[in-house]
Amino acid sequence: MFDTLNRPGSRLLSLTDVSVAFGGLAALSDVSLTVAAGEVVAVIGPNGAGKTTLFNAVTGLVPLARGRIDLGDQRIDGLYPHEISEKGVRRTFQNGGLFGHLTVIENVLAGLHSRIAANQLSIILGLPSARRAEREAVARARELLAMLGIERLADELASNISGGQQRMVEIVRAIATNPPLLLLDEPAVGLAPPVRQELGAIIRRLTKSQGLAVLLIEHAIELVMDVSDRIVVLNYGQKIADAAPAEVRSDKAVLEAYLGHA
Amino acid sequence: MIDAREADAALNRRTARHPSGGIFWLVPAVLLLLPPLLNDYTQYIVNLALVYVLVGVGFNVVIGNLGQLAFANAAFFGLGAYATGILLHHYHAPLLLSIVAGAIVGSLAGALVSLPALRGIRSFYLAIITLAFGELMRWVYVNAEAWTLGSMGLHVPRPALFGWVLSTEKHKFYLFLGIVTLLVAATANLLRSRIGRGFMAIRDNELAAAAMGIPTARYMVLAFAWSGFVVGTGGALYAILVRQVSPDAFTLLELILHFGIVIVGGLTRIAGSILGAVALTMAPELLRDLPGYEELLIACLMILILLFLPGGLVTLFDRVTPLFRQRYHRV
Repeated sequence: MFDTLNRPGSRLLSLTDVSVAFGGLAALSDVSLTVAAGEVVAVIGPNGAGKTTLFNAVTGLVPLARGRIDLGDQRIDGLYPHEISEKGVRRTFQNGGLFGHLTVIENVLAGLHSRIAANQLSIILGLPSARRAEREAVARARELLAMLGIERLADELASNISGGQQRMVEIVRAIATNPPLLLLDEPAVGLAPPVRQELGAIIRRLTKSQGLAVLLIEHAIELVMDVSDRIVVLNYGQKIADAAPAEVRSDKAVLEAYLGHA
Repeated sequence: MIDAREADAALNRRTARHPSGGIFWLVPAVLLLLPPLLNDYTQYIVNLALVYVLVGVGFNVVIGNLGQLAFANAAFFGLGAYATGILLHHYHAPLLLSIVAGAIVGSLAGALVSLPALRGIRSFYLAIITLAFGELMRWVYVNAEAWTLGSMGLHVPRPALFGWVLSTEKHKFYLFLGIVTLLVAATANLLRSRIGRGFMAIRDNELAAAAMGIPTARYMVLAFAWSGFVVGTGGALYAILVRQVSPDAFTLLELILHFGIVIVGGLTRIAGSILGAVALTMAPELLRDLPGYEELLIACLMILILLFLPGGLVTLFDRVTPLFRQRYHRV
């Protein structure tokens, strides 16, 4: 479904002079950036720099004041969030976006929502075609959970599992449709160091094996250095750097904004 | 390793959300044997319980599964009853057509009430707006006299199905049981599908639901419309059962009864709403021999249930069903 977007190296996501304002406050000012297919791009910056706003703009949760966002050769700003999700942009949430009263597998099934081919009438009538579509989705959801080694959590309520497990489930739910682009909003918060390494390994595995591109907001700098092909630095809603990890590390403006004065 | 308790709890939830197919159809089948055991009065009470099954199951979709504090349920019920009553009284329309009209009017009212929710009005604010809608409808019932005959209400003629007059309560029972079974089955199908999961996803985290590709606005309208459809059908059956439709049947007190059915039965659970409907229709009848203490006892009973069974009556059931569970625990 998304094959045309998955060609390695081709331009996948591009933001052109994107601005977002809340009241009179500019949360993002003229930010431009691109993500190529299969690329891991980290977005870093101090708190309040506009990182999550950037994610919300890309996924259609906040409107743009100016600028445009394209996915492949389709313009996606102005679409509804569920339409952008359909086009292949999926995300996790900073404060945990799981559906707490649903089980783990139901969360993944909710992520597969658009892939369950059953129309309203066949669902209400309980037709065999609707049941079959549901069974196939359940099998696919189990497969996905098994891929990250958490199939034993399938029938637990999402609010009952540990914070680390919740992040894994959120990632599984987000990649359930095999999207070309995944936005991870601080996936490592609250994770113990070994679990962080595991997370890094998972991100690399997904990008290598499935050609997934990742846009990553993260404060855990060792994880960022570990997985990123490129790092974008935001400060007060403006992009102040966009380069390979090694270069960003020695960039003067970045050091001042992000790490404080030496 | 999952320990046995954990596994049991997991199974519990699974069956909870996936009412087991075989057992479901067993219930109406057994109920078919009921009429010979009842007299006309007890049969009337059973029919009334069937009406309130639709009221509870429909209300639950919006407040339990979609998680919206929308209190227009008595309005859906009243509009359904009036639509059917008006068609039967003024136009002598066929019975089934009149019932379908009640369902459709309820469903349109549901869609209308979802509009403020679509505008982002939630929780207490939605509660007040929907309560106001209910009172507005009462004003309409009283003042649209040409159709509703105002505060004295409509008399519904003796219903006939394809020329066959439903002269006793037993006749109505078979019709009601058929309609209620179909609508409960349809609601169960809806709730355990991707659409029902969509409703619950919206309830738990609306932004995340949208980001997962769930069309949140469309599903809100759908949940309200379905709720109105089921409750409106309940209203239609009420008009046929009681044969009198008047504004004082759809007051705030009626709404509180609807709310009680859903909460006492068990929020979000279809089986809960069924149990709640049966309990709250039967209880006043069983306590009728204790005049003066009736309301007191019902109130105490409700408090006790919610203290000791916070998940509602349906959790009593969950303790018995492990016997049947094994066969159904996979979708």
